[in-house]
Amino acid sequence: MIVEPVEVQDFLLAVIAGALIVLAGAVYALLFAISRIQGRPGLMPFAYAAYATLVGAVVFLARAAHFSGFWTFIAVLMLLGYLLAPHGVWRLCVGTHPEEVP
Amino acid sequence: MAAAAIGVLDTSHLNGGQKLAVKYYTVAIVLFVAQVLFGILAGLQFLYPDFLYGVLDFNVNRMVHINAMVVWMLMGFIGSVYWLLEDEAGTPVVGLKLGEIIFYVLTGAVAVVVLVYLFVQVGPGNDMTRWFINEGREYIEAPRWADIGIVVAVLTFFFNVVATVMKGRATGITGVLIADLLALFGLYLAGMFYTTNVSIDQYWWWWVIHLWVEATWEVLVGVIMAWALMTVLGTRRVVVQTWLYIEVALMFGSGILGLGHHYFWIGTPDYWFWIGGFFSALEPIPLVAMVVHAVYDSGAHKMRNSNHPTLGWVIAHAFGNFFGAGVWGFMHTLPQVNLYTHGTQWTTSHGHLAFFGAYATINIAMFYVAAQKLRGNVWMGAGIAGAWRWKWALFLLNAGMLTMTVALLASGYEQSFIERAIEGATWSGYFAGQSHPWFVQGMQWRMWGGWVMLLGLALLLWDLFTIGAGETRKAYSPSEDEAARTAA
Repeated sequence: MIVEPVEVQDFLLAVIAGALIVLAGAVYALLFAISRIQGRPGLMPFAYAAYATLVGAVVFLARAAHFSGFWTFIAVLMLLGYLLAPHGVWRLCVGTHPEEVP
Repeated sequence: MAAAAIGVLDTSHLNGGQKLAVKYYTVAIVLFVAQVLFGILAGLQFLYPDFLYGVLDFNVNRMVHINAMVVWMLMGFIGSVYWLLEDEAGTPVVGLKLGEIIFYVLTGAVAVVVLVYLFVQVGPGNDMTRWFINEGREYIEAPRWADIGIVVAVLTFFFNVVATVMKGRATGITGVLIADLLALFGLYLAGMFYTTNVSIDQYWWWWVIHLWVEATWEVLVGVIMAWALMTVLGTRRVVVQTWLYIEVALMFGSGILGLGHHYFWIGTPDYWFWIGGFFSALEPIPLVAMVVHAVYDSGAHKMRNSNHPTLGWVIAHAFGNFFGAGVWGFMHTLPQVNLYTHGTQWTTSHGHLAFFGAYATINIAMFYVAAQKLRGNVWMGAGIAGAWRWKWALFLLNAGMLTMTVALLASGYEQSFIERAIEGATWSGYFAGQSHPWFVQGMQWRMWGGWVMLLGLALLLWDLFTIGAGETRKAYSPSEDEAARTAA
């Protein structure tokens, strides 16, 4: 088969890792946005700590799901996407609300 | 004719399109009740398999439960489009009379289809069955005559929208709406032919199911939300429209080929593993990135709004969509994991939270917009009489749904282990999974969630028919407030 399924003993941790990727991504985006909009740079390290959690979850999922070749590329793309998307959306927010820049 | 008093339920407060919308909303609410009731029956049959056996079997209850959901949501969306069309185009709805006739035809057809589902149930499995009883395609079981009727009805609806926009004002919102409706109705045709090859059948069937739910419905909700944000929060049109375009690009960019995650196990070529895996991995990123926009907007607007229940349901929509579609979806979407979870209660858990969070919530939000206008644009802010009803309805419906989601997840987890991993997805494994105590306990908890939802639904109905009664204050106007503050 073209994909090798996760081992049974890794199944629970693999799905938790999947959920954690999205949740940690959201916490990163949330703290990033609050830090910027309220001018609280002290929150930014916590935002990147959430992103670091996301990285850990992606690495665990990639190992549990036997990622190699194209699947590794997908994992790298996910890491870049979750890292950069909040920056991109922030720039779009500033650009589309010109008179409301905090 | 004298204008009706504020606080009194009267359709003279509405324009033509909005009067038709209220009819669609009424049928949508009836079908919402049917969805919950038949869901309760189907849930009970998991616990008591003999319950209504031979009278209303599980397959019939489940079919009515899901079909009622699909149709009430569509009725809600169509109603919402009629609701905003006249305001948005700046002219009365063109061909409204035809729209009215089609509404009654569509409602009658839905009633006949449901009665046939309930009282005829099955046929001999030939062309007569396909044309007049049940087409057999999960979620879109409507027989062929009804399919054709649905196409005619939606084409009339499409004509109403296009002709009105052409006569009146074209905006970014109506532009996206027309393009989306074209895709919505075109895709329905993919589920309207017959083949004996189940892989080919499933391949096209997913075009209707996935591309409706994860592409065209999402955009339709984006259109309705865009209009609602302008009305309820007073967000400027240029901002709303720009974000609508961005949302469409992101949604279609990752959503369309996310279709591949349904093609893992139906006999399609191997390359769907790559395509499905790639786009499914990217699908949650726009959802996550939008958290930034939500924080930005809440910071800029301070949540001043004209309709508290609507805003409450819009917030429930944001959370429900994020958890139901994003977290619950990505948990089991990669093929390495999905091999174990596909078609188990895990999928049911995801489906329940995602449909409720992404679509039911936004329709309920629009019901409250209608309730406010039906009483003469009455005050629906702080201090409204009986506010506990909408708050408790919101809480109970969401708490009930969350209970069901988590309970179904527990049952699905057990099924993935016992039925799939240990028993190797065999026939005996299926029954071993279904009779395991953890599965049964999950189903018992799911029933409690269902009862709580039923209670929440009763409260919601009571509130929708009574909210604003006797209120004499006019609604807060975000746009007038903005103008006053700017002038000051």
